[in-house]
Amino acid sequence: MRVYVVDNGGQWTHREWRVLKYLGVETKIVPNNTPPKDLDVDALVLSGGSPHVSVESNKMGLNSEYIDSLNIPILGICAGFQFMCSHLGAELRPAEIPEFGQATLIIDEYNELFSNLPKSFTVWESHNDEVTNIPEGINILAHTENCAVEAIKVKDKPLYGVQFHPEVENTEHGADIFKNFLSIVEAWKK
Amino acid sequence: MFNADAFINEAVEDLKKKIQGNAIIACSGGVDSTVAAVLVSRAIGDRLLTIYVNTGFMRKGEDEEVRKMLTDLDVNFQIIDASEEFYAALKGVSDPEKKRKIIGEKFIRIFERSAKEFNAEYLVQGTIAPDWIESGDGVRDTIKSHHNVGGLPEDMNLKIVEPMYDLYKDEVREVARALNIKVSERQPFPGPALAIRVIGEANREDVEIVRDACAIVEEELEKASAEGKMVRPWQYFAVLLPCQSVGVQGDNRAYGKTIAIRAVESIDGMSAAYSRIPYEVLDKISMRITREMKQNINRVVYDITNKPPATIEWE
Repeated sequence: MRVYVVDNGGQWTHREWRVLKYLGVETKIVPNNTPPKDLDVDALVLSGGSPHVSVESNKMGLNSEYIDSLNIPILGICAGFQFMCSHLGAELRPAEIPEFGQATLIIDEYNELFSNLPKSFTVWESHNDEVTNIPEGINILAHTENCAVEAIKVKDKPLYGVQFHPEVENTEHGADIFKNFLSIVEAWKK
Repeated sequence: MFNADAFINEAVEDLKKKIQGNAIIACSGGVDSTVAAVLVSRAIGDRLLTIYVNTGFMRKGEDEEVRKMLTDLDVNFQIIDASEEFYAALKGVSDPEKKRKIIGEKFIRIFERSAKEFNAEYLVQGTIAPDWIESGDGVRDTIKSHHNVGGLPEDMNLKIVEPMYDLYKDEVREVARALNIKVSERQPFPGPALAIRVIGEANREDVEIVRDACAIVEEELEKASAEGKMVRPWQYFAVLLPCQSVGVQGDNRAYGKTIAIRAVESIDGMSAAYSRIPYEVLDKISMRITREMKQNINRVVYDITNKPPATIEWE
């Protein structure tokens, strides 16, 4: 299985690469302006990054094309997640109370991304902005005390996103979330 | 999972191909650079010269410890005392990024001189992933310029070799254990050393203060861990803050500086949580610092910030 990490300039982009490598998939970090036709992959992870997605979407390269045209499972993380949501019609705004470091995730809707996970666990965050006004067509899967939209699944498409950082050691069950994502990829290939 | 033996074999083979002729390695005696020294030494033997620079910012007793460690390691090494040079270069500089860049450049100028003498074209560094990630690049913000990446001058003529570029600290430790390197469990210590644990200008007087405070923090936490009162934190040290506060010492007014204690739990240094040190251990550290260092310090605080939003070091 080949799952590449699209680099949106995150502090933890390389951590995503490491988690995937540890899970035994073929992986590589690629710049976010890599043409979709050059991506012969089974799935993508859209990394986080320092851009304020709402006003600096130009720094998000070809993320929109990956979401629109590749028809493969994609997991957006932090800025990658925010971009995915805003591209599909949600709004972004500066968070009233931003989250840095520890937070408690509460799962609202179980699906394949969160299968076999507890209802609530510790995650690590690092974001100034937040997603709001989620359109029809997108399911909200989880929240924290200060952030209503922590995870989403796009209905009818294998697109997933998380605001928190499953690739970080301090996040509980982080590797399990990646494993679940890889199961989704496996199922999608069939 | 990470396979240390496979990594070692690949790295040594790769270094054999990459390094034609002589090389020098910058070794601080920490885990990263010592592992790099051993890997390269396996690949090219005596064509490698290991260099330890005494910057004047090292911890108590560190120069001697590293000399002994390098002797035991049986590598070709040289110790350079450059403390005058470093203090002179940092005089009047208080911006943390400037401090880091000046230190980075100083290191390189010293290595260039040694490389010339040793007829070496290559500079090996123990750079690991967080160093280049946090130093920033075209797409990544600069969190802090690590001296060995973001602190490199543009006009350097040494070819850089970084065998552990993609590894994190936990993986480097696995490699160190596989190589039987004694310092495998040593706590991380930044390249710019105590210069970035003095907030503001790193002059001799203030570095001496933070050196003493770091020694007390290390001693007490190591003792408490050995006695089973706590698990030794991932990293632990003292920072000298420039803010003064009022105190009372033996009925006399005191107006001294502040020491912050920092101790964190981490795996890879890319995220961290502050350590839950037992109060009795914090008490002991606070009492020792304010008594033994009463001339300079009359207040001790404990840093309870995670990474993010803070970083582990203060600068």
